Amino acid sequence: MKNSDVLLIEPDAELASTYRRALEDDGHNVRVAHSAQSALHLADEHQPDVVVLELQLTDHSGIEFLYEFRTYQDWQTVPVVVHSIVPERVFQTSRLVFRQELNIHTYCYKPTTSLRQLRATVHALKV
Amino acid sequence: MLEECAERKRYYVVNTDIANEQLMISVSEQLKLPLMQVARRAEAAELRGTTQDFAAIRVTAQSALQLLDNFLLSLRLQNGYLQLELEPVSVSSVLYDAGQAVRGLADQYGVELQVDIGGRYGPVTANRMALEAALISLASTLIEGLPGMDLPAPQLELQFATHRCRYGIVAGVYMRHKSLKPESLDKGLSLHGKARQPFNVLTHASGAGIFVADTIVKAMQLQLKVSRHNGWRGIGVVMAPNQQLQLI
Repeated sequence: MKNSDVLLIEPDAELASTYRRALEDDGHNVRVAHSAQSALHLADEHQPDVVVLELQLTDHSGIEFLYEFRTYQDWQTVPVVVHSIVPERVFQTSRLVFRQELNIHTYCYKPTTSLRQLRATVHALKV
Repeated sequence: MLEECAERKRYYVVNTDIANEQLMISVSEQLKLPLMQVARRAEAAELRGTTQDFAAIRVTAQSALQLLDNFLLSLRLQNGYLQLELEPVSVSSVLYDAGQAVRGLADQYGVELQVDIGGRYGPVTANRMALEAALISLASTLIEGLPGMDLPAPQLELQFATHRCRYGIVAGVYMRHKSLKPESLDKGLSLHGKARQPFNVLTHASGAGIFVADTIVKAMQLQLKVSRHNGWRGIGVVMAPNQQLQLI
C-alpha cells in the first residue's frame, strides 16, 4: 500500500500550511492549490489519489471545480473529501444530487473537524 | 406630525436592527477563520510536540481581536452610542500606523506590504482613530484574500497609499491584481447579509472587514470607493482637504 498523492484545495494560506504539514507527517505527498483553476492544473500534472476540497474559494467555487473535475474520465473515481466551512445542511435539498452526481466520499465540516479526524479520513482512502 | 415621527423612528429602528444583524452574521462567519487557525495550529503543536506554531497563533489571535474591536466600534457608531469628532488628520501618519498594525498578519500570509506616503498632502477632515480602524479592517481582508487568488509571488503585494483625486484626497489599500472593479464593491455591499461570500473576487471569507470599514467610514459622512493608484487597484476613502489648515 503506497502513500497517497493528495491534492489539497484550500484558499486560506495559513490553514493550508497547517493541513499540509499534518498530512505530510502522515506520509502523504501533498500539493496545495488555493483556487479552482490552479487545482485543475495541478490535477492534470500530478494525477491525485485523493482530493480534499474547500467549497468556498475565491472566484470559482468548489462546486464549479467538482463539476469540471468529474467531466474527465480519469478523475471520475478519484475520492473527494469535502472539507468546508460551509455546513452540509446548506445543501439539504440537493444533498443526494450533490453526493451521488459529484461522487463525494466524505463531507467534513471544517470548524469541527480536527487534524486527527482529517488525517484518519484521508488515511482510510489510501490506495 | 407625531405619527409621522413615530413612523420614521420605527423605520430607523427596523433598519438599524437589520444592519446590525447583517454585520453580526458577517463578522461571526469571518471570526471562524482565525479561530480555526488557532485551533488547528494548537493541535499541530500538540501532535508534533513543538513550539514553532506559537508565534503564528499569537499573530492570528491579535488580528482576530483587532477585527472584534473594529466591529464593536462600527456597532457603536451604527447605533448612535458614539459620535465621531471630525478633526484635521494627517493621512500619511494614519497610513503608516495602519501599515504597522497589519504587518504581522501580512508576514504570516507571505504578502509584501508597502506604505507609499510620498508626496505632500495637507491634512484632511476625518477622525483619526476611525480612519485607521477602517484602513486596518480593509487591509486585513485583502491580506487574507490575496493568496487565495493563487497569484504568482511578485503579485502578492499590498500597498497603503494616498493620492489626490478630483473629489479630494484618497487613502486606501491597493493591489496589483486587476480583478477589482467598482461594480465588485457595489455588488458585494448590496449582497451584505444575503450571501456567504459577497466579495468572491476578493476573498474566500465573508469579507467582514470591508463591511466594518464601510460602516465606520459612513459614520464620518465619507464613502469607500474603488480607485487606482499607479496602475494598482484598491479600495480607498475619499476625504476633503481641511481648507482651514491649508490656509495657514
